[in-house]
Amino acid sequence: MVTAIGDDVAGNLKSLRRQQSGVGFSQHIDTIYKDVLPAAEVRHATVTLQGMAGVAGKDGYTRTTLLGLIAMREALADAGIATASEEPTGFINASTVGGMCDTEKVYFDVINPEKEGDFLQYIDTLDCADCTQRIADTVGIDEYIATISTACSSSANALMFGARLIKAGLVRRVICGGTEALTRFTLNGFNSLKNIDKQHCRPFDQTRNGLNLGEGAAYLVLESESLVKERNASVKAELKGYANTNEAFHPTAPSPEGDGAFAAMQQALAMGGVAPENVQYVNVHGTATISNDLAEGHALQRLFGDKVPPFSSTKPFTGHALAAAGGIEAIYAVLAIQHSIIFPNLHFSQKMEELNITPETQLKEGVPVSNVISNSFGFGGNNASLLISKYEG
Amino acid sequence: MKDKYYIQGMSAISPQHTFEKDPFSQPLVTVQENVFACVEPDYRAYMPPNSIRRMTRILKVGLTTALQCIQNAGITIPGAIVTGTGKGSLSDTERFLKEIREYKETALNATPFIQSTYNAVNGLIALQQKCTQYNNTFVHRGFSFENALLDSMLLISEGNKDILVGAFEEITAEHFYIKSRIGFWKKEKIASDQLYAHPTPGTISGEGAAFFVLSDTPSEVELAGLKMVYKPKASYLEKFLASKNIRLEDIDLVISGRNGDSNFDHYYDGLPKELPFKHLSGEYDTAGAFALWLGAQILKAQQVPANWFPMVKVPTGPFKNILIYNHFFGEQHVYMLLTLNTGYRK
Repeated sequence: MVTAIGDDVAGNLKSLRRQQSGVGFSQHIDTIYKDVLPAAEVRHATVTLQGMAGVAGKDGYTRTTLLGLIAMREALADAGIATASEEPTGFINASTVGGMCDTEKVYFDVINPEKEGDFLQYIDTLDCADCTQRIADTVGIDEYIATISTACSSSANALMFGARLIKAGLVRRVICGGTEALTRFTLNGFNSLKNIDKQHCRPFDQTRNGLNLGEGAAYLVLESESLVKERNASVKAELKGYANTNEAFHPTAPSPEGDGAFAAMQQALAMGGVAPENVQYVNVHGTATISNDLAEGHALQRLFGDKVPPFSSTKPFTGHALAAAGGIEAIYAVLAIQHSIIFPNLHFSQKMEELNITPETQLKEGVPVSNVISNSFGFGGNNASLLISKYEG
Repeated sequence: MKDKYYIQGMSAISPQHTFEKDPFSQPLVTVQENVFACVEPDYRAYMPPNSIRRMTRILKVGLTTALQCIQNAGITIPGAIVTGTGKGSLSDTERFLKEIREYKETALNATPFIQSTYNAVNGLIALQQKCTQYNNTFVHRGFSFENALLDSMLLISEGNKDILVGAFEEITAEHFYIKSRIGFWKKEKIASDQLYAHPTPGTISGEGAAFFVLSDTPSEVELAGLKMVYKPKASYLEKFLASKNIRLEDIDLVISGRNGDSNFDHYYDGLPKELPFKHLSGEYDTAGAFALWLGAQILKAQQVPANWFPMVKVPTGPFKNILIYNHFFGEQHVYMLLTLNTGYRK
């Protein structure tokens, strides 16, 4: 994985433990809001990312693709996979705006018949499939290729789809997650919805006033139990349950009671056969928008009653990396289980008056964590919850 | 994936008069400009006037096709909504890009941004039908619709019913120009019904929406197979047929994605009983959904509408097994098998 707080999983864990946020001001996007709206940017310039992704000097890779490729290479190495093509493998990627980060810079040249030049090679990178195929082609994956775009829940849905391909017996290994680069397009989109805070985002705080955007990429290697046993792989965690529901309420807002969020979490637990009292940590969607946190908070109270487990949003660390968020936070859930750790919800000070609950504000080490719920909710009423559990083999 | 999947209802808005009650009796629509546009219906039966004003073209096309499909299938709330689109609402993406520049990033209207989101149509369908179930959108060029279809088949195998699955795609003048700069379209203008007589680089562009309700309840048309093959090094046809225990001789019709593009048409060479369809729809990411609609209609009607195919020798029925083979500019190749469920026919 790669985010504003680290170039790999170890780097992310280090920053989480040090409680170091990646939110700052953008160096790389061309916008009048550069010094106004904070964002969690991966600190490297795109040319540096080329080197990190192992494609130095090669053209045509957008920032979206490069972030994804860096994360993909780490995921493969970490899973002990030297050659991806050895096992028929799926790649289920997620993206919200594809290579917009690069195409928006040349778009008006592209549509201008008077202009010719190198920018033409970026013409076909605008769609969401470009990054997926370039990553797949670079590492040699070709069995199942898909890209999902359900706004902020995209990579959670990618994980679900991958798990279901394995369960159906179509493939034994699928690499799932998402990649997202900051763009002027998205920044202006969320800003036009008045969803971006000029300060650091404050999830579940009474004074919250919107999100900070982020960028990054994260992939998880899912394998069937038979493949795991066959190659004697070390299992980091189990994707035990998941659910995808829709609010059917409003194009960009959840129902205040959090109906979709409640149903998604409840169904994920039911699939995993895990009772609510056995959940030790919820990594909430927690964007810090007025409506999300209210709906999600209500859903938590409805599901867990007066025994809501420790919960936190890690978006004050990474920003909201949209299509990559579900993947990033799924890895954080795995880290919580592996290292018996619960991450703090930064910048919280004042309880929301509509809720009885407050997020975890301290870094908790040495807490046994067996079951984590990871939430990702998005535009179009798309809700996704994952139940990630300790593997009992 | 040993279950059976049947089409319960379908609907299509396309450059042909596919939305009419008796589509096969409609005249063939042709174009001379290398780009097709959908024949749009009267939306007033499907949505309130303010929605008609507010929504951009492909949102209306997609939503209307989906709603009509639900009606045709005789259901109200689908068991899930899964779609595919390569480009989503291009009009909205283009408009938001322009407004960012024109208004220098200030005082922007959020509507085009929201509508440019790829899952916007899904959200609208869910909202209108109050469907709180599974909802997903695939955005992968020539695998967009087909991944949605695979997802729907998985959902049925997992015990769900009445899955609404479909695709929608738009072409705009601006995007047509953009793709012309990298050789997607023919340089020379041709009449669309002469497409196969012009084996030159590039093809003609199109758009459309097609939706289906898929379930395990037996109906006339069974979706008996689906396989996506990414950048194949050799033909997958025999493997696909073998996996379905069917011989090429048992295929009564092959609906092919042939599009007159001399760079990629060789994949279709040698197919028996071939019926190309791109002179009806033009080329686009989710043209496979149009092909599935066409194949299912042919199975039900037990005839190929001869007036739509004046340029080819039209195979005559009976039709039991129809193979669809389509690829998108040589990268995403798809095989689909449709079978007439004779036991169901009265």
